[in-house]
Amino acid sequence: MTLTRSASADVTSKVVATTEVAEAFYQTRLRVPTREQAPVLTVEPGQFVQLQPRPPEGVYPYLRIPLSVSAVDEAGGIVDVLYEVVGPKTGALRRIAVGEDIGFLGPFGNGFPTPSTGATPILVGGGIGVPPLIYFGTVLRAAGTTPPILVVGARSKSKHLPDGLLDSASHDVRRATDDGSLGHAGLVTDLLQDAFGEGHQAPVVYTCGPHAMMAAVARLCADHKVPCFASLEEYMACGIGVCVGCVVERANGTSQSSPYDHYARVCVDGPIFDSRQIAW
Amino acid sequence: MTDLTTNFAGIELRNPVLLASGTCGYGEELAPFLDLARLGGIVTKTITPEPRAGNAPPRIVETAAGMLNSIGLQNPGIDAFVQDKWPYLATLDTQIIVNIAAPTAQLHGAMAARLEEVQGIAGIEVNISSPNMKDGGMLFGCSPSASREVIAAVRSETRRPVIAKLTPNVTDIAAIANAVEDGGADGISMINTLLGMAVDWRTRKPILGNVTGGLSGPAIKPVALALLWKVRQAVNIPIMGLGGIATAADALEFLVAGAAAVQVGTSTFVDPGGAADIVAGIERECAAADITRVGDLVGTLRV
Repeated sequence: MTLTRSASADVTSKVVATTEVAEAFYQTRLRVPTREQAPVLTVEPGQFVQLQPRPPEGVYPYLRIPLSVSAVDEAGGIVDVLYEVVGPKTGALRRIAVGEDIGFLGPFGNGFPTPSTGATPILVGGGIGVPPLIYFGTVLRAAGTTPPILVVGARSKSKHLPDGLLDSASHDVRRATDDGSLGHAGLVTDLLQDAFGEGHQAPVVYTCGPHAMMAAVARLCADHKVPCFASLEEYMACGIGVCVGCVVERANGTSQSSPYDHYARVCVDGPIFDSRQIAW
Repeated sequence: MTDLTTNFAGIELRNPVLLASGTCGYGEELAPFLDLARLGGIVTKTITPEPRAGNAPPRIVETAAGMLNSIGLQNPGIDAFVQDKWPYLATLDTQIIVNIAAPTAQLHGAMAARLEEVQGIAGIEVNISSPNMKDGGMLFGCSPSASREVIAAVRSETRRPVIAKLTPNVTDIAAIANAVEDGGADGISMINTLLGMAVDWRTRKPILGNVTGGLSGPAIKPVALALLWKVRQAVNIPIMGLGGIATAADALEFLVAGAAAVQVGTSTFVDPGGAADIVAGIERECAAADITRVGDLVGTLRV
């Protein structure tokens, strides 16, 4: 994992497999050809890719689908994306058959900042926000940093990813459900509060999930003076910074030399933001 | 080999394909995906006299064969443009047309005067047509007299070619076109986005933070072609056509309907390197059809 931006690839990937991993949650494995200019596919945890499931002569879907990455095999040129089928676009993605093409553009955006030596990473994911944390946890464990704690919340058991998908990210997985069908009956912030009480050295929180959940996580971290980095999502068109569509409001008091800086672009200024920089 | 060179209102273009304002930023972000020297030019994202924050999100929503946007002209303002954005643009081997908008005719003129001091700008495109600029008090592009007044104010302050960008959201676009020609425009670009809205019936809310926005993408191409054809018959100045162009065939259709050049817009969001493919496709199609000069196609629609 490096902190430099990866070379952007605009290529045609092939579907290796698509599997249902939880209720309406699908994992699609893509083989991504490398180019002369970027012989090794590098994706930093937290970065996203722009996929195009539209057939070459088709008109729908129109815009690409921005998705975070849940696993990467750099040597094999394999990228896993994990998504919930919520509408016709993600439905189209799910239906692409093994061996068929998907336009692949990216990776884009910044990545999760590396925790400082000795810090304890706590990854807090909700719903379909978990995938980038899986990749981040996997990279952290491979790097031999303090093992990450993974806190995962969902509406019910059927919306939880199976252990097999989370094992590589953490050996300390804590689950919560709204309806009590799996793990703690309640919110991820209850479990995060518990983790803060366990006296881990220099905790640092990384979160991705529904906006309200991340806002609550950010608030709790602020109360405990724990650094918090959130992966944000907004409706997105280009993904490369030109359309200025996918913006979020910066917090009052952050450095804004001009009204031009009032909104930050999720695609190139993020998607990972220090939670104190955002107007939740 | 077809000659693709085009002179648009005095601007020498390598080929008739440009990138539309608001879809290519100030050039820099697109450079990793597209050799801008392959294009006739680029039209920079609208700048205003003062910096603008833009509209509250969500600003983007996909629609059938297109999208709505309500960006709201977020831009650094003309001073920061000249200081921070122009130095990179000046290094590009392509024609740079600078798009401007302002709350009054007088301020449009002042912007043109300020840009006169900047070397290397090929032309000024005047955005009298953004559906996302409410605080200007009115949309100049909906009124022939206001359109004429704005263009005349810019005309009086610059020696550069002045291009008026027209909105389709009017009753009689030919009247607006006549007014900007009368005001001294050297060319017209058309069309800007169509006013549109998307609704979430469950929440009973509009999806865009600004309620309404501008529709673009392949969905609007037939509208653009019809309005282009109408304006082509109303004015004597050249027209840059845009609206849903995503392929070489789309671009050629605009040329036949009367556009001397075209702009590729929303398509770049989906395919950031696509404009270069459109240039290559035009060359290929023209060669196959034994067309020696791409200009020979312009306005050849047989009705």
